[in-house]
Amino acid sequence: MALRRFVLRRLVEIAVIFFVIMTVLFILFRLAPGDPVSRMVDPSMTPEDARLLMESMGLDQPLWTQYIYYLKNVVTGNMGVSFHYGEPVIGILMDRLPNTILLFTTSIILSALLGVFLGKIAAWRRGERIDTLMTIGALFCHTLFLPWLALIMIWFFGYRVGWFPITGMISPEVWIHPDAGFMAKALDVLYHMVLPLMTLVLIHFGSYLLVMRSSMLDTLKDDYIITARAKGLDEKTIRDHHAAPNAALPVVTSVGLSLAFSINGGALTETVFTWPGIGRELVFSVSHSDYPLAQAAFLLIAIVVLVANLVVDVLYAYLDPRIRY
Amino acid sequence: MGHPSSLSPTPKNTHSISAGKQRHHWVERFLDGWAVYRKNTIGRIGMALLGIFALMALASFVPQMVDPMYHPMTGVDPEISHSTGPSMRHWLGTDFIGRDIFSQLLAGARIAFMVGISSALISILFGTTIGMVAGYAGKGTDIWVIVLMIALFRWPGVARVIRSQTLSLKHRPFIEAARVAGASHGRIIFRHILPNVMPLALLYMTFRVTSAIIIEAALAFLGFGDPGSVSWGMMLQWVWKTGHMFQAPYWLLPPGICISLITMAFYMAGRAMDDVLDPRLRKEEIKP
Repeated sequence: MALRRFVLRRLVEIAVIFFVIMTVLFILFRLAPGDPVSRMVDPSMTPEDARLLMESMGLDQPLWTQYIYYLKNVVTGNMGVSFHYGEPVIGILMDRLPNTILLFTTSIILSALLGVFLGKIAAWRRGERIDTLMTIGALFCHTLFLPWLALIMIWFFGYRVGWFPITGMISPEVWIHPDAGFMAKALDVLYHMVLPLMTLVLIHFGSYLLVMRSSMLDTLKDDYIITARAKGLDEKTIRDHHAAPNAALPVVTSVGLSLAFSINGGALTETVFTWPGIGRELVFSVSHSDYPLAQAAFLLIAIVVLVANLVVDVLYAYLDPRIRY
Repeated sequence: MGHPSSLSPTPKNTHSISAGKQRHHWVERFLDGWAVYRKNTIGRIGMALLGIFALMALASFVPQMVDPMYHPMTGVDPEISHSTGPSMRHWLGTDFIGRDIFSQLLAGARIAFMVGISSALISILFGTTIGMVAGYAGKGTDIWVIVLMIALFRWPGVARVIRSQTLSLKHRPFIEAARVAGASHGRIIFRHILPNVMPLALLYMTFRVTSAIIIEAALAFLGFGDPGSVSWGMMLQWVWKTGHMFQAPYWLLPPGICISLITMAFYMAGRAMDDVLDPRLRKEEIKP
């Protein structure tokens, strides 16, 4: 059971890394400008009340005691109350998480499918004009600056031709309508998703295309492709059933990792399109010094990235039986 | 020993063969590499683009000398108080308070180079050192160094690559020979391993430059930039925050095009450099 031992070892590593991240965050937030005391204490409070408040928050304790409390709170999932919303931050983040997951999972899967499909063709017709065209196009899209592309999208599709809404995730008038069914609501969300989705797919499919292309070129050199050809299989079968599935493995890795990083990488997209997700909340909390919210958001991102790394490694072993741990 | 600028992937100890003209050896290597690089069209385009951006960065000192109103940050055209389109007076128009967009664009090029190259240098310095030490020290310290790498900043990627490269170098005969000859660990790492991982570090530097520029632009765009300097991300933020993206394409387009182009230029230069560093990549010979 080498795999089980591998997973166990990785879990221990993840725990250690997470502990380090927690500690670094604690230190960073203590170094951040504007100490929590002055934020919590209202100038109209009597000194006596202020002292009581600080005592109740544990802010009069020495730093290492605060650190122990902090570790305990993180482990028990008590991340405090947002300065801005006045609600527990866990609730706020859990509220935003599905929106982020919806947008980014869709966009990454779409761009990976597109990238694999086009990359397969580019590698197959290597050196021909279509290959050059695709490679250059992919490179071009890949290097576009995301918020800029988003603004261009908004300007063109939202303003010049006016096909799609430019902000938010839902139109309230559709949702408060008494006989709005599930379909109507789903279509409304989809309608709002078109622009951010298009932006993200345009930016991301290029790297998948390039990865798929180079991996496919490697695969085509393998012996089993020659065998397949010797058996007299037709070219399309060789391309789609023998080469492509194996060549797509590196794409799986990068899909897994981008899913993980999209949780925070979405900050730009979500901010420009005012999509109510984790990334936008992160930007908001940092720019408004909402420390509990920012801290919780960073920790959430850290966990997602760490776990996704592990999942990708394990998934790899299933997809490629040659890999053993 | 030690040819930091050499662009060859072969172990440097082989140069003892040509010990007679040691001093010019790295110059030759560099010229050889440059000859390969020049044949690469993508590399040439990338280099040309980078040259243009470098000129822009140099030219950024000129406008405010011509007239203080062209100062990218503080200069305001006294006759203009809103965003105007391109004219002879302002080649790319002005922003919402009458500052010249063209001189802002030039200043942005300077910031992009500064941010890109300095942060890349720092992360390469950290990444290379940590990676070499981690790879050389082997088992015992591994996990802790990895923990540190993942936990902190942006050099982890570099460190991981350098570490694996070092792991493979460690068992080459010339390292063992140096050890037998009594070289200290520090000497082996910095005099024998460093020259061999240097090309790889340089390659990674071009990618780091790109990501550093993008990160700076993204931070500036989100409003976490340095308020005292004009960068392309900052310009985009002004367009966006003042709602000018609908009526001022002359203001929206240039900074975005510049960010995308400079990213592409560094990427192209990196790809071409990859070609120089890894001779196996020069010819892909397969028949589909």
